[in-house]
Amino acid sequence: MTRLLQIAALAVVLVFALLFAVVAGDYAPWYFAWMVGTVMIILIAAAGAVLFETQEAGRADGRDPSF
Amino acid sequence: MDQGVVDLSRLQFALTALYHFQFVPLTLGMTFLLAAMETVYVITGKPIYKEMTQFWGKLFGINFAIGVATGLTMEFEFGTNWSMYSHFMGDVFGAPLAIEGMMAFFLESTFVGLMFFGWNRLSRGGHLAVTYLVALGSNLSALWILVANGFMQDPVGATFNPDTMRMEFTDFAALVFSDDAQAKFVHTTIAGFVTGAMFVMGISAYYMLRRQHREFAARSFRMAALFGVISSLAVVTLGDALGRLDYLVQPTKLAAMEGIWHTTTPPAAPWTAFAIPDDVAQKNYAEINIPFVLGPLVAHSFSTAIPGIIDLEQKARVNTVRGIKAVMALHQYSEDKDPAALATFKQYEQDMGYGFLAQRYAPDQDLSKLTADNTPAVLDRAARDTIPNVFVEFWGFRMMVACGFAFVLVFAFGAYFSLRNEIEKHPWLLRASMWAIPLPIIACEYGWIVAENGRQPWTVYGWLPTYMSASSHSVGYMIFSLIGFVLLYSLFIAAELYLMFKFARLGPTDHAAPKPLEGGGPLTFSRPGYADKSWQ
Repeated sequence: MTRLLQIAALAVVLVFALLFAVVAGDYAPWYFAWMVGTVMIILIAAAGAVLFETQEAGRADGRDPSF
Repeated sequence: MDQGVVDLSRLQFALTALYHFQFVPLTLGMTFLLAAMETVYVITGKPIYKEMTQFWGKLFGINFAIGVATGLTMEFEFGTNWSMYSHFMGDVFGAPLAIEGMMAFFLESTFVGLMFFGWNRLSRGGHLAVTYLVALGSNLSALWILVANGFMQDPVGATFNPDTMRMEFTDFAALVFSDDAQAKFVHTTIAGFVTGAMFVMGISAYYMLRRQHREFAARSFRMAALFGVISSLAVVTLGDALGRLDYLVQPTKLAAMEGIWHTTTPPAAPWTAFAIPDDVAQKNYAEINIPFVLGPLVAHSFSTAIPGIIDLEQKARVNTVRGIKAVMALHQYSEDKDPAALATFKQYEQDMGYGFLAQRYAPDQDLSKLTADNTPAVLDRAARDTIPNVFVEFWGFRMMVACGFAFVLVFAFGAYFSLRNEIEKHPWLLRASMWAIPLPIIACEYGWIVAENGRQPWTVYGWLPTYMSASSHSVGYMIFSLIGFVLLYSLFIAAELYLMFKFARLGPTDHAAPKPLEGGGPLTFSRPGYADKSWQ
């Protein structure tokens, strides 16, 4: 039941996000680009840090640490 | 209105804005970079990311505190030095400023305290949410300020009411979603991201050059370089969007930015890479032109002619003739409420601002004293006024753009070598990153100069001339307050620099001991016990 509620909640979020994207894309394309872009910039920076840790772990294991 | 008072009012606002804008971009960018670092801490559980968030957060805090202090006075200046402007567009300008104060600034200020002092009082997720709210709040502050500025550049969503003699709202959504407000918000905030990324990358490079705090610096450098490389590409993209908007709604600004004196002939119209524009002779010296570039760059078309300054001046002359009729009808309507005068005003209303420009040069600033003899000279001077200072606009724009492309290169090399874990093998790049720390702030200042100098001679583009917008202070009062602001704000800058250098040199705690460099092989950043809680 809990899992079903989680899926339902995520579905609501998904529908809201899609509607928001359609409306914002029409009326506020640059604001929408900012929201998507800022999230992307944060995620890429965070992914770089996670990759750093992976490279360090690889180095500790004697694997090639280069990207 | 004494022109000296107007010039001093402009100088005072320009100086306070330039001082304030030395702090703003760093705040805008650092908040989201801190959020990214803390996100990694929450995901991986590695203490070093918490330490990164706290250390860079401390430097952010210094900048934030002094930046807020420099910004507060600017809102008061609208009332003290620009009372006519405040009356004319207070109905429009006041709303976004009030929202900025009530919503964004309160949001930012409330949560910034929790961010600094809530580490041991909030859960990890709770603190991360607070950090994101600080970032959102600071950027929403910028949004509302730039919505207000967007109206000054491209007045939409309001009309002039001849009964109250002021601009009044007709469509709030049009104001908030205007193309200028949108593009300017994204361009400005992302420029802040570039500033924050360069700041973190540069100081991290300093540590790496000195072989200090290397584990801390390598991770900070990696995150900042990736944060910066995407941001700098986005800034360039938005710069192009803003240039096209200027072409559509502020052709005088665009022509001045590109040094275009004569309307271009497509498709071979050249883009002027270098020139020495002469505002008096209305020509460029020592031009270096690249053919076939201007049309696609500005209008995104090979077949569109770009209007030149001399033709825009001639067009402004026609607007001024119509504007004089509008202003004279407005005067008559304000005296006797004559419906015929109102009808005449409505017919020429769109050119009212040009009539105000002509009023400045009419005998005794009275348009009813214009005669067949003195009108041509008044029209010439008013039309000439509609062109901003081309030299400042041309070179301000080029300095900003040159910095923007330099950032892309520095971040791209930084990200590439960091991803390959070879960053310490390239001290030239570390030095370049370190010396580039102030460049984004300088580029932001140039951007502000291009935007606001290019808007001249208007405070509200096409509607209200700058010379009519100022308060009627004495020259002595303006000089006294100007000196006061310069001294106070210089003190703020000195305090900021002192504290930043002091705490940046001290570095993060627990890692002050230099780590000896071993040979020329690959460098290892991991240290036992440091990343004690692995996410893997």
